[in-house]
Amino acid sequence: MSMVTVEHLHKVFGRFTAVKDATFSIDKGEIVGFLGPNGAGKTTTMKMLTGYLPPTTGTASIAGYDIIDKPLEARRHIGYMPENVPLYEDLRVTEYLEYRARLKGICGKSVRQQVGWAVDRCGLEPKRRNLIRTLSKGYRQRVGLADALLGNPDLLILDEPTNGLDPNQIRQIRELVRSLAEDHTVILSTHILSEVEMICNKVIIIDQGQIKANDTPQNLTRNLRAAGRVSIEFKGDLEPVVKELEAFAPVKKVIVEGPLPGGWHHLIVRAEPGTDTREKAADIIASHHFPMRHIYRHIPSLEDVFVEMTRKD
Amino acid sequence: MTEKENTTILRTRSWFYTLRTIFGREFRSYLCTPFGWVILGCAIGLQGFWLQAVLQTMSKATGESVMFYMLDNVNFWFFFIFIFPLITMRSMAEEESHGTLEGFLTAPVTTTQIILGKYFASLLFYIILWTPMLLYPWMSDLGNLYTTLRYGIEPEGRINYTPADWFGPISILTISGSFFIALGILCSSLTRSQIIAGIVCTCAIIIYYFMGRVPELWGEFPAAPAFHYLSISEQISAFSRGLIDTRPLVLYLSLAVFTLALTKRVVDYRRWHR
Repeated sequence: MSMVTVEHLHKVFGRFTAVKDATFSIDKGEIVGFLGPNGAGKTTTMKMLTGYLPPTTGTASIAGYDIIDKPLEARRHIGYMPENVPLYEDLRVTEYLEYRARLKGICGKSVRQQVGWAVDRCGLEPKRRNLIRTLSKGYRQRVGLADALLGNPDLLILDEPTNGLDPNQIRQIRELVRSLAEDHTVILSTHILSEVEMICNKVIIIDQGQIKANDTPQNLTRNLRAAGRVSIEFKGDLEPVVKELEAFAPVKKVIVEGPLPGGWHHLIVRAEPGTDTREKAADIIASHHFPMRHIYRHIPSLEDVFVEMTRKD
Repeated sequence: MTEKENTTILRTRSWFYTLRTIFGREFRSYLCTPFGWVILGCAIGLQGFWLQAVLQTMSKATGESVMFYMLDNVNFWFFFIFIFPLITMRSMAEEESHGTLEGFLTAPVTTTQIILGKYFASLLFYIILWTPMLLYPWMSDLGNLYTTLRYGIEPEGRINYTPADWFGPISILTISGSFFIALGILCSSLTRSQIIAGIVCTCAIIIYYFMGRVPELWGEFPAAPAFHYLSISEQISAFSRGLIDTRPLVLYLSLAVFTLALTKRVVDYRRWHR
């Protein structure tokens, strides 16, 4: 079942088009990494999904409720954590969360129960009586996250949840998101790609307002140009080796990187994605009895995908 | 806590529950921060200052109640015109500049609920500001009683009052305040700067006040009744004498509803055209 459906979403600010014709859908239970360079339109898209910013044209629906026609119903299904968590400075952490819980329609003894639960899950226990204005950035982020979790919404939209946190806190948040994944749908935007690789089962890449990719991380890396790249360092005659390598079918191009000290050569072999040319290359060099000190097949990462999709050149 | 416990969350869809939540938070924000107490302290100080001026006047002229002299007084206008921007200037402007409006509008809350919650909280705080003044006759009675009991003499210069002396001022201050508070919230929703909101609101109230003074400057020309109808100074003068009139009630309540509806439009417009 589709949790989020976005159709031809378009957002224009004056003369600047922030999001162009975005169409995608997110199924229930997916953890989606929303990636893109600064100013790509990630936050704008997220704000449109939450119903805060109205789209210029196009529609989106959350759990089957249109964000324009039934905004309140749609918002009941969303837990949203904005980028710079806006908080009331003059409240204490639990006061603030209780207030937010009531705004979300939670009532009776569930208010305290929900706040206690969110405080526990976000590690806010030591700071629950503190005034929000005295909290550090990391704790403010956690208050924002706890706020998003209140009422156990089906869909969590987290805009850079780990921004400004220390590595331990990032790990905690990652574990938290992973544990939520069992019965929630999560959309999170971040610049930390290793994080996405670790927890997301779907990636949406947006650049200059356009959706560039929408797939699983595995599929994205598999089809990458960098996927079949092998780098080799050996000592000996360059010409026969290059010639024989280029004759091998999956190899598209052999690039010679300038001579290294001590007579070593560095080759970069570009091949079809998904092929492994290491064995053949090693055979060729061995047949000439040249010494080889390094052979490495590049493992494509999400970073390569990101760079390839969003590169300006 | 297990997920199972978490699935039985008590929820309500009541419109008034949300409104009450916002109202409660807004009203507490006046009383749980120095902001509200500074205003309250200044208000009591000012009222006390002009009370002694009023008592001076009353010792010379009698015939009207202390409430009449309190409200039919130059000091009153200094207070009355500036109190509304002070109370309301931060209400919407602060939400916008702190970004907390985003928190509101991504929760299942409507713009109307936000505006009404803030409006009623400000209105209640405004009414509370007047309570010290409305207690003066009662306090003077207590003082007289104390003098009688302690020294066994009947004090002279008793402040006389009737229920109308109280009810008149309370009603006109509440009725006209209901519009001026709405006006202040409208001004606050126009901008993200509290200062600008305060200045615009002050100007609007001063202009409204002088509209009622137009017949004094121009004489009784054919359109003068319209200005008399709007004149807040004449209304307050009449009500503080104990003359209850329903026309200001209709005027201010309809203006308040119109202003609040306009505020909702402004907030939505500013969100849609960001």
